[in-house]
Amino acid sequence: MSVTVRAAAPVEQRPRRRSRATLAAGFVVLIGVLAVVCFFSITMGARGVGLPTIWKAFTDYEPTNAAETVIRELRVPRTLIGIFAGAALGLSGAILQGVTRNPLADPGIMGINTGAATAIVFAIMVLGTQSTSTYVWFAFAGAGVATVTVYGIASFGREGATPVKLALAGAAVTAILSSVTSAIVMTNVSALNELRFWQVGSLAGRYFPVFWQTLPFLVIGIVLALGTGRALNGLALGEDLALALGQRVRLTRVMMFVTVAILCGAATSACGPIVFVGLIVPHLARMICGPDYRWILSYSLLLTPIVLLVADIIGRVVVSPGELQVGVVLGVVGAPAFIALVRYRNLAEL
Amino acid sequence: MKRLLLLSAASALLVAGCGSSAETDAGDGGSWSYTSGDGKTYTADSTPQRIIAQGEAAAALISFGIRPVAIYSNDPVEENKSLKDLDLSGIKILSETYGQIDAETAAGLEPDLIVASYWPLEKAYGGFEAGVEDSAKKVARLADVVGPAEGDSVEEKLAGYEELAVSLGADVDSTDIAADKATFEAAVERFRTTVAGKEGLTSLAVSPAEDLLYVAVPGEASELSDFERWGLDIIDPDAPDPDFAYWENLSWENADKYQPDVILMDDRDAANSLQVAQGQPTWKNIKAVEAGAVVPWPAYWIHTYADYAEQLDQLSDRFETIDPDLT
Repeated sequence: MSVTVRAAAPVEQRPRRRSRATLAAGFVVLIGVLAVVCFFSITMGARGVGLPTIWKAFTDYEPTNAAETVIRELRVPRTLIGIFAGAALGLSGAILQGVTRNPLADPGIMGINTGAATAIVFAIMVLGTQSTSTYVWFAFAGAGVATVTVYGIASFGREGATPVKLALAGAAVTAILSSVTSAIVMTNVSALNELRFWQVGSLAGRYFPVFWQTLPFLVIGIVLALGTGRALNGLALGEDLALALGQRVRLTRVMMFVTVAILCGAATSACGPIVFVGLIVPHLARMICGPDYRWILSYSLLLTPIVLLVADIIGRVVVSPGELQVGVVLGVVGAPAFIALVRYRNLAEL
Repeated sequence: MKRLLLLSAASALLVAGCGSSAETDAGDGGSWSYTSGDGKTYTADSTPQRIIAQGEAAAALISFGIRPVAIYSNDPVEENKSLKDLDLSGIKILSETYGQIDAETAAGLEPDLIVASYWPLEKAYGGFEAGVEDSAKKVARLADVVGPAEGDSVEEKLAGYEELAVSLGADVDSTDIAADKATFEAAVERFRTTVAGKEGLTSLAVSPAEDLLYVAVPGEASELSDFERWGLDIIDPDAPDPDFAYWENLSWENADKYQPDVILMDDRDAANSLQVAQGQPTWKNIKAVEAGAVVPWPAYWIHTYADYAEQLDQLSDRFETIDPDLT
C-alpha cells in the first residue's frame, strides 16, 4: 500500500515498511508513553491531591481519608478501565477493519453498541434491573446477539458475508435496535436519565466492581485478538487468495466476529459506547506500521489506551471543576481527525 | 389587583354565609382575575371552568376543592409523590413524562386556564421551561398559564393556590381543609421545637446522580426556605451552577466538600438515589453518611397541607435521633 500523505498531515511520508527493530523500539516507547499517561490519569482530576497523599494512598491506604479514597477507589479503577477497555476498543476496530476490509468499519457498523444499549434498556425497563453490576451482563449479551444477528443476515446468499452485505446488515440492525430503544425509553423519563451514560460513554463513575466484572472478558478478548494477526494478513489479500493459501476463510471470519463481540461487549459494559477511538487508532497504527496486522494489532493495543486516557484527562481539565465525558471529548477531537484521515489517505487500499 | 381583592373578599363572605351553594355563585359570576407568580395579573370575562394543571398544582387545587379536567405530570402518576394517593377519576392524563404533553387531546378539551407553579429562576411555569418539546409549548398557548411562585416558601405557595382556588369558585372553609391546616400548624411547631433542641445542627440537601452529587441551594427550594425560617441550618453551597442555580454540581471526587451533621436526600426517586450514592466510594467519606444521618428531603413536590404535615412529622422523628455535634 502506498502511503501518500500531504505535508499538512500529522505524519510525514514514510517508507513502505519499517524494520522490525524500529517497530519493536517504537513499541517500547509506547509502553513508556502509556506509563506517563497513567501517571497523569491518577494525579489529575476535579480534586487536587498532592503527590505525598497519592504516595500514601498506595503505601498506607486509609479509607476514611477522602483524598486517598479518590486516588485508590476512583482514579485507579478509572485508569485501569481506560487501559483495558481502550485496548479492547482499538483491537476490535482493527479486526473489524481487517475482516470486513472496510476502512470505515468500527464497532458501530456491526450494531454492537446499539445491541448493548438495547439490552440495557430492556433490563431496566422490562426486567426492572437497577444495579450496575447486572447491566454489565446485559450489555455483553446484547453485543453478542447483535454481532451474531448481523453476521447471520450478511451470510445469506452464495458469496457469504461480504463487506458490503455486512455493512448493510449492520446498518439495518442498528436502525431496528435504535427504534426499539427509543420506543421503550420514550415512555419513561427516568430510564432516559439512566441511559444517558449508555449513549455517550464515560470513564467517570466506573469503579472496581465494574472493572473486576469485565476484566476476564477483556483479557480473553485481548488475548484472542492478538492471535488474529496472521489470519488478518491472509484476508487482506482478498478472499480468493486467502482460500488459495489454504485459509479456512469462513471459520476465520466467525472466530474474528466472536472475538470482536467479546471485546466490544466487555468494553461497552465497562465504559459505555465509545466509538471514534476504535475507528481512528487502527488507522493511526497502520500509518506507523504498514500493512502487517501483527504490528497493527500490537500498536493498537497500546495506542488506544493512550488516546482514550488522554481524551479522558482533557475532559477532566477543560470544564473543571466539572467533567466532560470522554465520549464527548473523543467526538470533538476525533471527528476532525477522522475527516482528515478520509481526506488524506487512499482508504480503498485495505 | 383591587378587583381581585374585592372578588376574593366577596366570595369568602358568600361562602361563609351560605355554605356550598356559594361555589356556583362565584363560579358563574362575572369577570375573573388572578395575580400570578410572574407578577402579572391575568383577567378573563368569566371565571375559568376548564382547567389543565401540572400534577403537583392539580394536587393543590384538588385539596382546595377545584378539580381540573386534565393534568400533565413529570413522571408516572403512580410514582408521583403528590398524585399517587389521589382519586383522579374523570381527569385526563396528558403526560407522564417531563417535557412532553399530548397537545392534541389538550386542545380538544378547550381549556380556559392552565395552572402550574412559577419558577422565577427559569422565568417559566412548570412544564413549559426552556428545552421542553414543541408539544408542551403548544399547550401553553391554549390558555393563560397561572400559578404561585416557587422558591420562597411552601406556605406562601399554598396560600397562593388557595387564593387561586377561591377565585375559581372554591369553598375553602370546609372542616377538612381547616383540619389539615391545624395538623400542619402543629407539625410546624413540633419541627421548630425539635430543631431548636438540637443546637448547632447543620444540614445539607443533596440529590445523588451517577456522574455528580448535586447540592441544593436552599433559597431556591420552597420547603428548604421554610425549614431555614423554622430554624434549621442548611448549608448554602458556595458555587452554584450559573446556568441552573438550583444546585452546585459536585464531582464525586469532591463529595466530602461540605460536612453537615445530617444529609437531606432528595426523596423523589429515593431507592434509586440511595443505590447510586452507595455505589460511590466517596459517599462514605461524608461523616453524616458514616453516622447513618441521612433523612429524606421532600424535594420540590409538596403542594398540600396534609402532605406537608406528614413530611414534617417524619423529619421531626428523624431529627430527634440526630447527633448535632457530629461535625
